[in-house]
Amino acid sequence: MTDNGSTLKLSGVTKRFDEFTAVNNLSIQVRPGRIFGLIGPNGAGKTTTIRMIVNITAPDEGTIELFGQKMSAEMQDRIGYLPEERGLYKKMKIADQLRFFGELKNVKGKQADEAIDRWLERMKLTEWKLKKASELSKGMQQKIQFIAAVMHDPDLMILDEPFSGLDPVAQELLKDVILELKAAGKTIIFSTHQMEVAERICDDICMINKSQKVLDGSLRQIKSSFGRNSIALRIEGGTDGVLEDQSLVAKYEIRADEIEALLAEGANAQELLKRLIASGASIGKFELVEPSLNDIFIAKVGESQ
Amino acid sequence: MTKFLAVIKREYMTRVRSKMFVVTTVLGPVMIVLFTVVPALIANLKVGVTRIAIIDQTDGGKMYERVRQSILRKGDDENEAESGEGQATRAMNSNSLERASSAERQRETSYVVEPIQLDGRSLEDVSRELNEKIGKDQLDGYIILPPDVLQDGEVLYYGRNVGDVFTREQIRDRISRAVRDQRMENEKIDRSLISKINKPVNMKAKNSESGRTESGGGFFFVFIVGFLVYIMIIMYGQVILAAVVEEKETRIAEMLFSSIRSFPLMLGKLIGVSLVALTQFAVWGLAFAAFAVYGVGMLADRGMNVSLPPVPPLFFIYFFFFFILGYFIYATVYALVGSMVTTTQEGGQLAMPILFMLIIGFYFAFPVIRSPNSPLAFWVSMFPFFSPITMLVRIVTQTPPLWQILLSLGIGYATVLLLMWVAARIYRIGMLMYGKRATIPEVLRWVRQA
Repeated sequence: MTDNGSTLKLSGVTKRFDEFTAVNNLSIQVRPGRIFGLIGPNGAGKTTTIRMIVNITAPDEGTIELFGQKMSAEMQDRIGYLPEERGLYKKMKIADQLRFFGELKNVKGKQADEAIDRWLERMKLTEWKLKKASELSKGMQQKIQFIAAVMHDPDLMILDEPFSGLDPVAQELLKDVILELKAAGKTIIFSTHQMEVAERICDDICMINKSQKVLDGSLRQIKSSFGRNSIALRIEGGTDGVLEDQSLVAKYEIRADEIEALLAEGANAQELLKRLIASGASIGKFELVEPSLNDIFIAKVGESQ
Repeated sequence: MTKFLAVIKREYMTRVRSKMFVVTTVLGPVMIVLFTVVPALIANLKVGVTRIAIIDQTDGGKMYERVRQSILRKGDDENEAESGEGQATRAMNSNSLERASSAERQRETSYVVEPIQLDGRSLEDVSRELNEKIGKDQLDGYIILPPDVLQDGEVLYYGRNVGDVFTREQIRDRISRAVRDQRMENEKIDRSLISKINKPVNMKAKNSESGRTESGGGFFFVFIVGFLVYIMIIMYGQVILAAVVEEKETRIAEMLFSSIRSFPLMLGKLIGVSLVALTQFAVWGLAFAAFAVYGVGMLADRGMNVSLPPVPPLFFIYFFFFFILGYFIYATVYALVGSMVTTTQEGGQLAMPILFMLIIGFYFAFPVIRSPNSPLAFWVSMFPFFSPITMLVRIVTQTPPLWQILLSLGIGYATVLLLMWVAARIYRIGMLMYGKRATIPEVLRWVRQA
């Protein structure tokens, strides 16, 4: 696999269900060895897109190329898929389930057993190996599902909301594992509607809303192109209504001990600082920050409507 | 291919290892015995003593003693008219039903009979008094014999439970017997002469092909075969339904479809479960064979003669093909239904009409047993939804020409292919649709589109 080729390439992909267009003329490129975030609100078309990538459904128009080849049933073995809607066979032992999912990806015998032991150990679930799925907590079941998606060592992994429903410790563990996989040269497509999560781990993103691509590129690029017009503030004492001045501050939000203010168009951060000092407030922090993915998304969606 | 085998293996192993399988395998034969023996046992249950009072209005009350004796005497040996019908049932259904009905007939209800004298009171007064006694549970019923009972007077029977047809009929029969005896005596006719004239002819039934005497065990066997196919198809159809709904509801389907195409997945599931059913049959078959070889001999040594119905080896081959046919027809439909619904309960409702087909097929077994070569028997054994039961029943009772068997199998397996083709199309889309049950128009569209 060459570094300048792409692991996955969608060109003009459209999928319709009767009158409803779930995905409209979507083109994306996923580069090898990167974490690609497919983000957008619920119902935007993420799951439909993923189903086409893993060859569960076929697009009505457009093409999907994987590792430089046209999508086919054989290619499915090189993909690992963790669906958003998760489930295991309730009455089956964990080891048996994983062995079954391994066989469905053509991983058998000793090779499968080794992978199962290694992954259970990594996910800290070794002692649950011979338990039935119904005896595991939801979070544990989710980790098992993750193992089922990655145990056959696929080159491309598609993780649909992998963090939802996990406790913070498990989230941290999973994040580490995902970064390890990335370091091992795997390509990961990561789908979520939680912008903060995407922001933490993605290299590239593609935002979709209402079946359409709204934005894509590397996270860094996108953020810098949006400029620094957001300010993190920590103030003691009154501000004498400075923040309410619509010509300076478009809107502000009070967080735990900070205020996040978004500058009005054409307003200057220095001007705001001067006014705040003049108002007699004691300023603990005044920092220009990059806009959050959430802010960008809201701005982009607002633009497109 | 590995994937397909993996699906079969999973379906087979998880089920054969389950407690459910062990329980049904062990209890299966027990259940069959229970189904045939228990009705007879229940029918034989002593219902206790029935207390009856008799008001005899005949001249001098001379009928009372005769009626009392008749009611207390056991057996209805003289009721040829009634038991003629019984014999037909007996011939048709052989052991189980016959045993049940004749047990019912000979059920030893014990009676206690007491005379009631009017002693100048009006009939209404006495009736009222007796009704009160019934109300207080001191009496179960009373009979009023009219003065003209020997001519055409109507006997009245008052009882708490006149819905108990058996007791009512028995009482009627026994009063009739008493009245008949009295009439004969009045006409000076010798009773023993009458029974000599009425004595039925003896007949022995022999199978025209084997020349063996049919004791009725063969019919019993037919009934069990039909019943077994019926029960096993329902049972394993439900297994398929539950398995499909599980994969759909837990959303495992999505994982599976990202690894394997829907058709091999569905087919693997059907085959895996069919192997479970065949394993169960194999266990039963071996148990039966062991019993035939050792058990019968052992029982014979202890003086118990058990004659097993003659089962030609070819029958097992036919049984295999027809059971598999029935299984695949119904299990495919269940798989299809499972992919359309969201819960097994919903699936059960939707599968109702199909289940009815199977039930009807089972009921057709009875006319087919009676006349296995009739046009009706021919057509119902060609119809693929009935043939797994009806054709097997024909084969056991009177083997039809080979071409008919092959034609029936041909039609059946062609139907299976057609059903699978349709089901695979619905399955793929249905399994990925969550939250609501698919409507019939939707499903029809999927079949056309896919």
